[in-house]
Amino acid sequence: MELKENPAPMHEQHGIDAYAAYLPAYALDDNRIDATGPPRAGGPVRGVAAFDEDSITMAVEALRHIAAGTLTDRHLLLATTSAPYQGKTSATVVHEAVGLDPGISAVDLHGHRSGAVALDTVLRTGAMAALADVRTTRPGAPDELAQGDAAAAYVGGGTRAAVLLARTGRTVELLERWRLPGERHDRVWDERFTAEVLAEAGLDVARRALTEAGRDGVDHVVVSSSNARCAAALRRALGGTGQDAAVERLTGFTGAAHPGLLLAATLDEAEPGQHILLLSVTEGADAFVLRVGDQVRAARGGPSVRAQLDPRHRLGYGRYLRWRGLLDVQGPARPAAPAPAAPPMHRRAGWKYRLEGSRCTACDTVTTPPSRVCARCGVVAASAEPTTTVSLRDRTAQVVSSTRDHLTTMPEPEVAIVVADVDGGGRLSAYATDVDPADVVVGMSMTPTFRRLWTTDAIHNYFWKLRPRKDTLDGQ
Amino acid sequence: MASRRLAHDVAIVAMGCTPFRDHWHSSADDLLVDAVRECVASQPRLTLDDVDAFWVGTQGSGMSGQTLARPLRLVGKPVTRVENYCATGSEALRNAAFAVASGAYDMVMATGVEKLKDSSYSGLSAVFPPADGTDVDWTAPAGFSLLAPAYQRAYGVDARDMRSALTKVATKNHANGALNERAQFRKAVSAEAVERSPRIAGDLGVLDCSGVSDGAAAAVLVRAEDAYRYTDKPIFLRGMGFVAGSGAGLAADGYDFTTFPEVVEAARQAYEQAGITDPATEISLAEVHDCFTPTEVVLMEDLGFSARGKAWRDILDGRYDLGGALPVNTDGGLKSFGHPIGATGLRMVFECFTQLRGEAGARQVPDARVAVAQNLGGQPGSCVAFVAVLGSER
Repeated sequence: MELKENPAPMHEQHGIDAYAAYLPAYALDDNRIDATGPPRAGGPVRGVAAFDEDSITMAVEALRHIAAGTLTDRHLLLATTSAPYQGKTSATVVHEAVGLDPGISAVDLHGHRSGAVALDTVLRTGAMAALADVRTTRPGAPDELAQGDAAAAYVGGGTRAAVLLARTGRTVELLERWRLPGERHDRVWDERFTAEVLAEAGLDVARRALTEAGRDGVDHVVVSSSNARCAAALRRALGGTGQDAAVERLTGFTGAAHPGLLLAATLDEAEPGQHILLLSVTEGADAFVLRVGDQVRAARGGPSVRAQLDPRHRLGYGRYLRWRGLLDVQGPARPAAPAPAAPPMHRRAGWKYRLEGSRCTACDTVTTPPSRVCARCGVVAASAEPTTTVSLRDRTAQVVSSTRDHLTTMPEPEVAIVVADVDGGGRLSAYATDVDPADVVVGMSMTPTFRRLWTTDAIHNYFWKLRPRKDTLDGQ
Repeated sequence: MASRRLAHDVAIVAMGCTPFRDHWHSSADDLLVDAVRECVASQPRLTLDDVDAFWVGTQGSGMSGQTLARPLRLVGKPVTRVENYCATGSEALRNAAFAVASGAYDMVMATGVEKLKDSSYSGLSAVFPPADGTDVDWTAPAGFSLLAPAYQRAYGVDARDMRSALTKVATKNHANGALNERAQFRKAVSAEAVERSPRIAGDLGVLDCSGVSDGAAAAVLVRAEDAYRYTDKPIFLRGMGFVAGSGAGLAADGYDFTTFPEVVEAARQAYEQAGITDPATEISLAEVHDCFTPTEVVLMEDLGFSARGKAWRDILDGRYDLGGALPVNTDGGLKSFGHPIGATGLRMVFECFTQLRGEAGARQVPDARVAVAQNLGGQPGSCVAFVAVLGSER
């Protein structure tokens, strides 16, 4: 029997239908342990995931900015070098929290190159991907401020944001950045050696992609590389403007998320019809030539990268070290917060992952957590599954009362806890996050955000917190 | 809704209560034995053999009726363990009262105990069933601290006045506890000390919180008509209400954190049974659940002692002081007497019993005839609440 390739029809266009970026609310610009003077002016700044964030929560925050109707039915990929679980798939948590159809598969892609491969899969198969990473070095490492935390989300199956014109790749086995299972930080080989190897691969794939796309040049050169020296060389060689480098100096290199983050920042500002060369150079190289789609503005979910860079909170180095567990600080004389149990987590997935309350069919009251019996009128639902559920995760809530827990087991001296009423019905008792507890006041507007509450007995406990609503960042 | 006075009137004829404090050298067993021994020894005509059935309340210091049967080496007697958060001791009393009122037993004993200081933790500790992990891991002070900002907003009380009222609750109860040799803290505290104490939750400092302590208490109950066979000063249970809240305050919008609806309903039932129509004037003294200072402020209104929005003013005016119109927490309250969960409800009744018998010494309320014991557990919006009216006359 003759085997025959079955190529995609030539008229079918591959591309990106929707995208979003998520940058954490904190930035670190000073990593001196013994600071006696002002920090170095104009030095690199890194985005820092809060103590309650990881690659799962940041992936959820990026994906939920994209309208639910846009999410396709192929695969969900989570690309990261910092999956919160090994063995267990982290993408299934993202899948549940985003509320995807159970028929959609979910898989983790690991390693530095996973971001580029996830983008490739999105572009060519119509999958959706979250690229998310938390980057941690040893305190005082030369590139500590040059690494960073972020997420980006991409949905294929359409070309509103971009059309794929060419794509090339090259795999290079190279000991550049690595770590053993159980280790926390990458080890790095002398980057003068690895830069040379990577830059050669990058130039090769870039030239081949441009040739394949039939183009001499592009409007935007975007280079993402785990090797800063290599990235600089390629930007020079390919005539880049350095806008990608400018973003990177404010976020740090965000690992598997980085090609997605830099592409998002470019799509935010590119004009329809312009051309982008996206180059991801790590463990080989991947090049994409894209034409910016006619509906690129509508294709963005949530705020732009630039809009998220501006209002970040400046973080002190000590607090950063504590958040990351790099400084072992005495906590309160309180037992660790309890670990959740698998059966109740599974039974109440709608509440835990999607923040769904039950709406009473008799009096319209929203009961949280969802309950068979209405909290107000006592009408009993016939089945164990609430018949009418309502998701509260995209609503605004107003603080009814608040307090500050000065004995928290979280890596902070205090956290704010609020009781808040959700617009449209429902009440949440929740931790406040991304806010100074002293700034939480009765009447404040807050919005849900998916976070990791705590980790006990090696079980990560994910649930929703509330952060202050910012009109500039919330909403489409 | 039927919540009636008992078919048989019930009287308390004997009580015992250990000091509440850090009992580093006593176990829960020891504390129970101490409280029961004192209770039985207080009436010469009483022996432990006369007691037909027992109740023991504890939140976490023992499982099953054997919590009491084993240390006392009770043989062939029924013992029931009960738990209802911080109203556990009250629950032991309530169920014991039902047992004599029903005619099932002639004499019963209610006991309560808690050993909190054997853990290395500074607050309360409890073991909860496996869960989905979505509940806020509140400390108890965090939950109750929600009352203060909500109360301020509802009644337009400024921060300084609210703080002063909370401070007054603490200084008043410590002053009362200083007169009580069984209290955990026997020292009056200054307003400055209260306000400068380290913050625990919200604006509540250490001295806004009840004492974490070990202790036990016990009571012997009989039908009222039998009471004078054991003592010439029995105390009568004239009314009793208990409500386990639906939790709606945290599960749906509407509840505003300025009241405990469960307390309001439990008080209504107790007052109705006792024939109390104006609690503000008919009650000689009250023991209330001052787990945290804002709790006592709100309770003054829930129990009908102060008009809504006025308790903070009445507190500052000294209405609830030992020499005031309606002394509250004459023994020091949870604040300075201490709060060993399972024993607290019975400790409150012990003070009412002592006061109504005229045996409270330096803190005696003159001519005390009707007392209220109010006890709650859980948190604002989702609590259990107990209110009893006790009288020196039937």
